[in-house]
Amino acid sequence: MALDFDPNAESNGAGGIPDDQFQSLEQVFGSPEFERMMKDEFPEDAAEWLDPVTRRRFLTLSGASVALAAAAGCNPSLKPASQKKIIPYVKKPEAIVPGVPLFFPTALTLGGVAVGVLVKTVEGRPIKVEGNPAHPGSLGSTDVLAQATMLSVYDPERSKGITEKGQPSTWDKVQTALKAVVDSQVSKKGAGLRILSEPAGSKTTFAGLMADLKAKLPEMKWIQYEAVGTENVLAGVREAYGKYLTPIFDFKKADTLVSIDADFLTNGIAGIRYTRDAMSRRKVRVHADSRRADGVSLEKLSRIYAVESNVTSMGGVADHRLPLKPSEIESFVRELAKAVGVQNVPAAGPLSERAKEWVAVVAEDLKDEKKTGVVTIGNAYSVVAHNLVHAINDKIGAVTKGAVSFVEPVGAELAGKNADAAANGTGSLAELTAEMNAGKVDTLIILNCNPVFTAPADLKFGAALQKVPNSIHLGLYLDETSALTTWHINGTHELETWGDAQAYDGTATVQQPLLNLYGSHSALEVLVALADKPSSAESIVQDTWRKFHAAQKIAVDFDLFWHKSVERGVIEGTEAKAVEIKAGDVKLSDTTQKSPAPATKASDIELVFRPDPTIYDGRFANNGWLQELPKPISLVCWDNPALVSPATAERLKCEVSYAWTAGEHGQSHVDKIEITIEDRKARVPVWVVPGLADDVIVLHFGLGREIVGEVGKGVGFNVYPLRSTKALWTVGGIKPEPGSAERTQEKYTLASTQGQHAMEGRRPARHGTKEQAAKELKSEHGHMVMAVHGKDAFSFADNPPASAAEKDLMRALLPGTPKEREWMADEHHPQKFFAKGFKNNIHTHEEEGEEGGDHHAHDKRLLPLTLIQDHEHNKLYRRWGMAIDLGACIGCNACAIACVAENNIPVLGKTEVTRGRIMHWIRIDRYFSVPEEHGGTQRMDAKERAEVIAKSTAEVKLHFQPVPCQQCEKAPCELVCPVAATVHSADGLNDMVYNRCVGTRYCANNCPYKVRRFNFVQYANYDKESTLQLVNNPEVTMRTRGVMEKCTYCVQRIRAAEIEAEREHDNPARRKVQTPMGVRPLIEEGEIKTACQAACPSNAISFGDLNQDQYVPVAKDAKGEWKPTGRRLPFSEVARWKLEPSNYGLLAELNTMPRTSYLAAIKNPNPKLLADAGKGGHG
Amino acid sequence: MATVTAPATGSPVEHEIFTDDEHLIGGKQNLVTIGEKIGNVCLGEVPTPKGWWIMFLTGFTLLQALVIGLCWLFYLGTGVWGLNSPVFWGVAIVNFVWWIGIGHAGTLISAILLLMHQKWRTSLNRFAESMTLFAVMCAGIFPLIHMGRPWLAYWLFPFPNNIAMWPQFRSPLCWDAFAVSTYFSVSLLFWFIGLIPDFAYLRDHAKSKIQQVVYGMLAMGWRGSAMHWRRYEKLYLLLAGLGTPLVFSVHTIVSFDFAVSIVPLWHATIFPPFFVAGAIFAGFAMVIWLAIPIRHWYGMKDLITEKHLDVCAKIMLGTGLLVSYGYFSEVWMAFYGHSVYEWDTTLQRMFGPYGWSYWLLILTNTIIPQLIWFKKFRTNELLLFLVAGSVHIGMWFERYVIIVTLTRDHVPSSWGRYAPTIWDYAVMFGSMGLFLTLFALFMRFLPMLSITEMRELLPRAAGGRDGHAVMENAK
Repeated sequence: MALDFDPNAESNGAGGIPDDQFQSLEQVFGSPEFERMMKDEFPEDAAEWLDPVTRRRFLTLSGASVALAAAAGCNPSLKPASQKKIIPYVKKPEAIVPGVPLFFPTALTLGGVAVGVLVKTVEGRPIKVEGNPAHPGSLGSTDVLAQATMLSVYDPERSKGITEKGQPSTWDKVQTALKAVVDSQVSKKGAGLRILSEPAGSKTTFAGLMADLKAKLPEMKWIQYEAVGTENVLAGVREAYGKYLTPIFDFKKADTLVSIDADFLTNGIAGIRYTRDAMSRRKVRVHADSRRADGVSLEKLSRIYAVESNVTSMGGVADHRLPLKPSEIESFVRELAKAVGVQNVPAAGPLSERAKEWVAVVAEDLKDEKKTGVVTIGNAYSVVAHNLVHAINDKIGAVTKGAVSFVEPVGAELAGKNADAAANGTGSLAELTAEMNAGKVDTLIILNCNPVFTAPADLKFGAALQKVPNSIHLGLYLDETSALTTWHINGTHELETWGDAQAYDGTATVQQPLLNLYGSHSALEVLVALADKPSSAESIVQDTWRKFHAAQKIAVDFDLFWHKSVERGVIEGTEAKAVEIKAGDVKLSDTTQKSPAPATKASDIELVFRPDPTIYDGRFANNGWLQELPKPISLVCWDNPALVSPATAERLKCEVSYAWTAGEHGQSHVDKIEITIEDRKARVPVWVVPGLADDVIVLHFGLGREIVGEVGKGVGFNVYPLRSTKALWTVGGIKPEPGSAERTQEKYTLASTQGQHAMEGRRPARHGTKEQAAKELKSEHGHMVMAVHGKDAFSFADNPPASAAEKDLMRALLPGTPKEREWMADEHHPQKFFAKGFKNNIHTHEEEGEEGGDHHAHDKRLLPLTLIQDHEHNKLYRRWGMAIDLGACIGCNACAIACVAENNIPVLGKTEVTRGRIMHWIRIDRYFSVPEEHGGTQRMDAKERAEVIAKSTAEVKLHFQPVPCQQCEKAPCELVCPVAATVHSADGLNDMVYNRCVGTRYCANNCPYKVRRFNFVQYANYDKESTLQLVNNPEVTMRTRGVMEKCTYCVQRIRAAEIEAEREHDNPARRKVQTPMGVRPLIEEGEIKTACQAACPSNAISFGDLNQDQYVPVAKDAKGEWKPTGRRLPFSEVARWKLEPSNYGLLAELNTMPRTSYLAAIKNPNPKLLADAGKGGHG
Repeated sequence: MATVTAPATGSPVEHEIFTDDEHLIGGKQNLVTIGEKIGNVCLGEVPTPKGWWIMFLTGFTLLQALVIGLCWLFYLGTGVWGLNSPVFWGVAIVNFVWWIGIGHAGTLISAILLLMHQKWRTSLNRFAESMTLFAVMCAGIFPLIHMGRPWLAYWLFPFPNNIAMWPQFRSPLCWDAFAVSTYFSVSLLFWFIGLIPDFAYLRDHAKSKIQQVVYGMLAMGWRGSAMHWRRYEKLYLLLAGLGTPLVFSVHTIVSFDFAVSIVPLWHATIFPPFFVAGAIFAGFAMVIWLAIPIRHWYGMKDLITEKHLDVCAKIMLGTGLLVSYGYFSEVWMAFYGHSVYEWDTTLQRMFGPYGWSYWLLILTNTIIPQLIWFKKFRTNELLLFLVAGSVHIGMWFERYVIIVTLTRDHVPSSWGRYAPTIWDYAVMFGSMGLFLTLFALFMRFLPMLSITEMRELLPRAAGGRDGHAVMENAK
């Protein structure tokens, strides 16, 4: 190629040198011609770019712009990988192996009570919260709030700096200011200093530092306030036993559980643990394997009664639920106490006939000597009611039988002289406000709470705060409170700081910092600065436990003790000391005995306040995951409408109508009501929930934040203005008229993911009763078997009548069922491979180990779709399957949000949801049924159903059903994809290949379960500058616009475990088994947990290898040959679940052969209550 | 050289008068009058009628909506439409099926009726074929743009690639890609082959250099030699044979898009014949809609006679009855099949939120077309035009009803609703704009009727060949 520079140009070298010669290379290299040449590698072509317009350039440009416009040219993610910087570690940090996640134990608190968690970090970046199996409050599970906390850590709208009067400041200045505060207060003994925080545990460093500070400044006050306060709970115990104690429930023991508006998840202090315990008695296993308790036998099924005004998860799983107004519930407790034989019960108000009937039936059940009964009551009810409940529990022997026990109070200061103030958070806050108004408070330090927003409205806390000359706020966000304080300190998230926290039973956990994104400071650091201690938060926490270590005289040295405690996430020996309580110790206090009868006026509507199920008291308002999560039961997201029963809606003249766009699956138009209490008003939309108590309006507080990030701004309605110190939880005397609760002319659009309430005779969520189940069973050789020969399913779990003719075949084809296993071994099976040596059903599995031959079952139906014959040994032999126990599902949505966190599921926002688009890979379907529908088996005219519901919401039953991808073996989606973007893997997963998907959406149309999710526009956030990127799981692909996505059974976890197992092929610690594919390393039961399964508080989801029982464990003998070492492995948990007669496949009649199956809920209704009500049906 | 040597003007024309027993050609026509009648429009000899301008400008305006609609769609994604879960297919697919259906009459007329010796097809086949082409173009837009990632549309075709990845041949959408592209290619070829002798006529009668060059190039060297005629007729017959199965296959395969799925009321064996009948039904309605303006604006009443309208109307009535049988059959099978999903969905279809669209469909597709039993409705242009319009609406709603079936399928928890957005409508009406624009341009620049075949249709006495040269005279 000729160089493109002018040979005739004047050279820049010394003169006299001919142009075609040169003296040095430098001379040539320096020439402008050469430089030009270097710039343009192909000078002839490059020159064209400089020409005005040439044909070539025109075509190139137009071609490029067409490509840019048509392809996603504006998408920065499409930048080639080569242009992105990848920088290796120069010095590798200890313990970090790229790609291998680490799990750090720590704890998350809510209202001062901790849930132990393990935080998954990749390359130093925490991405996912899992439960800590060693922690009593978690047992490995988590709830919605714990799962979503990860997003809050990376929220780009968190407060990032310290401000003084709105101007940026520094931590040094804060320390100086705090020192000045203490110095000035020393003379006054701290009389002008107040610290406001959330409740803390008694043994925590926080409480310890506070005690130190109080020793120095005895007049100082510490106010522990929480909007979702437990004052009444604490006071109830004090009334009953004369001192503050923490009650601990053991629901595993409860045969009869009466929940009086005590929804574990929104009410409890140990929601996760209590759910686990209570639901362990709801998982019926006919083939219960004695060695591995998956559930309980039919006889041990507990019975749950729920009396509530709202519709809660607890009411949803209950065998009977009685909707009552709050005031009626107070009366109900009194009547119940009387009925079980408690003396001196104060008079009750009027109760309906139905409620009276309930009292009699429930009391009879509770008094049953052979059963353990226990009554729980929500923190919204009066001290009197709590006192009475303790008396009832005492009377029915719940205390002696161990269903309720008491321990030393877990909360800080509940034991000392400040106990009353500490127990009564709201009272203390009121007192504080009075002092602030009186000018007695010089300095107010507000730690991690937002009282301006959450304080009862009558206190006018915001106005009072402005009268405090020096106020300091520490919090995660700039919020309503920080706007009014002198100082604001950007607080740490709990995952960013050293600390400690106590579980519901007092068990302490050390909290470890996993990162500190914005250089924030923790509440502990503020206390340290106040106490003027030069130490770091870490050493202060260590000091606390050093003292504990010394006091407990623990044998091992401190360093080891500390290391082990941090490593386990639980500090041994910290659980609160049990207090000996004998039967009859309980008493009804004078106030209880003399309390007037609750006033119930039939025509009055009562307001009920509850924390928002996902936003809690408002602190999670900027968390998109939580905002977009449909609230349990109402399934409304991005809002907090007032919930009413159909009859009440009619009284309020409010209606719900569905929009033409998305309609029931996204967009509803509702009326707004204006509620006025004294001079305080709130306008809220109304959402109708069948089953809610009539004449009750349920208001969830926490939304309607004003000073909050973009996510939470303008979302929902603030109902705190209606809440006052006198009426924290309920307000009576509301009437459907102007000035009280009046419908306005305003309409409002709500985003609700399920407006269709009925099953329409299709029975997707199946259920039966204990009696029905018992009738179909008989005992044979010590096993329970189906009474009718050849039948392996309970009739209520069977396929619907429409497909009755084929139902045996359909059942046979349901993976994992006994029939399927027989069919695989049948000589007529198309794959003769199975015929040999496969003898396997539930009745003979004990003996079958003797025949551990060479040929074992392996599902050959799942040959990969390829014309190239695979080598036998390359094939997978595992069959992954899932079973979900509907009996234990409480519809809490923890699975859904765990899935969001694990699988990088984007947040779309309310507008998209109202267009009928939501991306959650697992959803909780919720159905209501009325007795006339026979549990959903009968189709009923919608109008007729509405009339029935309006007449008696008491009879409405709830059914929950989590629906992830069913991983059909004959997947309708796979058949119709024109580009093979969704295909079957050899181990039976229905895989989705994002980068092959062209987005025809046919798969989603053809999916009868409607579990496929489409990226209609670019949902995934590719903004590289955003800290939100850090929360993404690097093992899961971010989906681009125009592709389909869906549940994968957390395939990344499966593959990771497989790689791990195969890698450990030579590790003797890894068990080896003989499989149809030769000797392979075994993936142990429980080694893989899907995100939903891991999160589920009630352990209602099981996942595993359906073929596990086909493997024979082997070991190398002396000659180095593999020899069987025992019988076949036992059935995997999921296989055991699928062998249950209650197992069924959702829409299995379509012959989709779903790998995910459901266990029909088995209810335990009280025949008396059914008979008395004159209502039959399926419970 | 002209296809048929025109008698020199002024010389006595002996075969000027003839009687047309079949009433397929009105007035007094001969080879010259027919050639001029049709050819002069293309050559600019006939003043452009006002109606044409209205049609063209309306179409061109709507075409802008298509362009804007597509730009916005490609910029943001299919989310600009009203699609949601559970209705993942919206009016884009409705429009696709609707347009494909409209296209069918053209091929039916040009291929099947030719093979069936239907002489009356001759007056209709050219513009009906053009209608087919333009309708398939409009139809073809939709499956492409409704994809999430349309730039990867070529993945639906088998092409050699380094990962040895084929399309998934079990998917009806894959069959669709083959069916529609084959259909379009064969229709285009058939149309163009038929045009060649006419192009030659236009070239020979060109009034300007440009016309001469353009038509000359399009005529591809046609000189009207016997050899040319022989090959032309052979090829024409062959293509008619090839086109015939396509009339049935394309809409059958389009119906598989629904019938192969397991969505209740989609999964039905009645779909293929039902869809084909519906397509012909819709296609003839469109032929009527196009024939009437052509008759009026260009004074073609002698070439497209009442007889033609009458026949088209009768075919519409016949296929309309088949379609109505389909509706009945769907309901009956759902009832008799005793499947809760099928029957419930039928009830939802009739009395659910979208019940209005079902009854509108029954009204426009089943009840109103019954008026065609009356002769007045077959011969009165205005009345026939209105009935055909009703069929257009009905056939659109037929597909709409099928699509909104998705709102209520197996699991009640996922039941939802669907409404198109302005962007759905932009593309929908925009596609109509594309059709109108293309058809208007066709009317102006290409022979609306086949000059060659119309001349052949003349009685032998009038210089014609008394029918299709390909069929009737090929013996």
